[in-house]
Amino acid sequence: MTPETLAQHLDDNLTALLSGSLAGRKVSELSRLSGGANNETWRLNWGDTPLILRRRPFSADSVANLEGNILGLSLVDEAEVIRLATATEVPVPAIHAVFDADHPIGEAFLMGFIPGESIPQRWLTDDAFETARANLAYQCGEALAGIHAIDRRKLPDKIGPTTLDNRFAAAQKRLHAFGDISPAMQFGLNWLIDNAPDNTPCVLLHGDFRTGNLLVNEKGLAGVLDWELTHQGPAEEDLGYLCANVWRFGHLDKPVGGFGHYDDLIAGYAAIAGWAPELRTIRYWEIFAALSWGLVCQTMGALWHSGNGDVERAAVARRRSEAELDILLLIDEWEDT
Amino acid sequence: MSDESDRPTQSDVTSAELLGAVKGFLMESVLPAVAGRDQFNTRVAANVLGIIEREQALSPALQALDREAAQRWLPEQASTEELPQQLARALAKRDIPVDPDFMAYLKARQLVLIAINNPRYASRAVAEARWG
Repeated sequence: MTPETLAQHLDDNLTALLSGSLAGRKVSELSRLSGGANNETWRLNWGDTPLILRRRPFSADSVANLEGNILGLSLVDEAEVIRLATATEVPVPAIHAVFDADHPIGEAFLMGFIPGESIPQRWLTDDAFETARANLAYQCGEALAGIHAIDRRKLPDKIGPTTLDNRFAAAQKRLHAFGDISPAMQFGLNWLIDNAPDNTPCVLLHGDFRTGNLLVNEKGLAGVLDWELTHQGPAEEDLGYLCANVWRFGHLDKPVGGFGHYDDLIAGYAAIAGWAPELRTIRYWEIFAALSWGLVCQTMGALWHSGNGDVERAAVARRRSEAELDILLLIDEWEDT
Repeated sequence: MSDESDRPTQSDVTSAELLGAVKGFLMESVLPAVAGRDQFNTRVAANVLGIIEREQALSPALQALDREAAQRWLPEQASTEELPQQLARALAKRDIPVDPDFMAYLKARQLVLIAINNPRYASRAVAEARWG
């Protein structure tokens, strides 16, 4: 859809939808933000109010054969989870409107714009964010504990409880569906099965809580974005995911997202949750996150082959090498300790 | 000077040089002329050419590693065609003993793959120091 067509559809619909909440008559300054290999993100103004539109550019049917949750929730369900998070201390934008797949706009939702920096290469190194980086690991611990405390009975039906065995079976199925092309990923899955933690009660997980999906201001965490991989699982999974090598953006000496340290993350989590996750369990989930990243890369390759996506998506398929390397490296390090 | 004048003027262009020429075009001509998503994708496209360049240089090393592995862990196998698939499937069935030799192969193979696909990935330096 061209920006002009999208703007026209928004003009046709928003006046009625937003009449009770936001003043405005016309969309202006509609522009697509870069990044986001799965859903489109658009910035726009409605009257004087800056807003963000998240939109799925293809129909779910076109990728129905891929199954599993890696493609993520419907945007309708994602919007519902963000609404649930609004009731907690977790910083999230207000949801203003939701469009299902039958709508001319396509599957999409419109939310508030939270000022802040999301681009890791900027806030991970810029001096202006020094205080933010010092606070952020603790704040991420607090935010994750807040998300994990959301009442699971209120979740959309699609976000059900699951077991580790189901997760392993789903990963195996995907590796097979993608042609069993990676011995390193198969080795990683075998290892994860053989070393799985025993007690894994489910909580609501953000599922993609990492540098790149956090909005940061000069004080620290300003917003938590990209809820499309929300699912249920053990709490440590979200913490390990945040610490995965691939999401440290080169800053391997700062295990929490390339900016912080394990102790602060765990302390922030414990302050809200009342219990402290074990470091070794977090590290197990870092390895699981490496496998998941590899599967995302394979999914991107498969989506591109199905005709969905541009050169970026094709290129992401090659980043599977990063995931494979981390699987081998992290397991090597684990077995030394 | 007389030696150089006898040398033929180079008229062929290798595939690596073609890749370099296209990369130069993308970064010097296209990049300043586009904006937004296209600018981002122009950088991605130039980076993709780098992957192709490195793959051309390094794939013989990868194939040599895989041939050796095939002889050792897949003795029935006649060719190295689809060898990674066969190894992955054998691993899934737990048919290959995951011993230090097999791990050494997986690691060596991965160091080549990361050198092709993302040589600047931070874990690579750590892995090279441990296994290289």
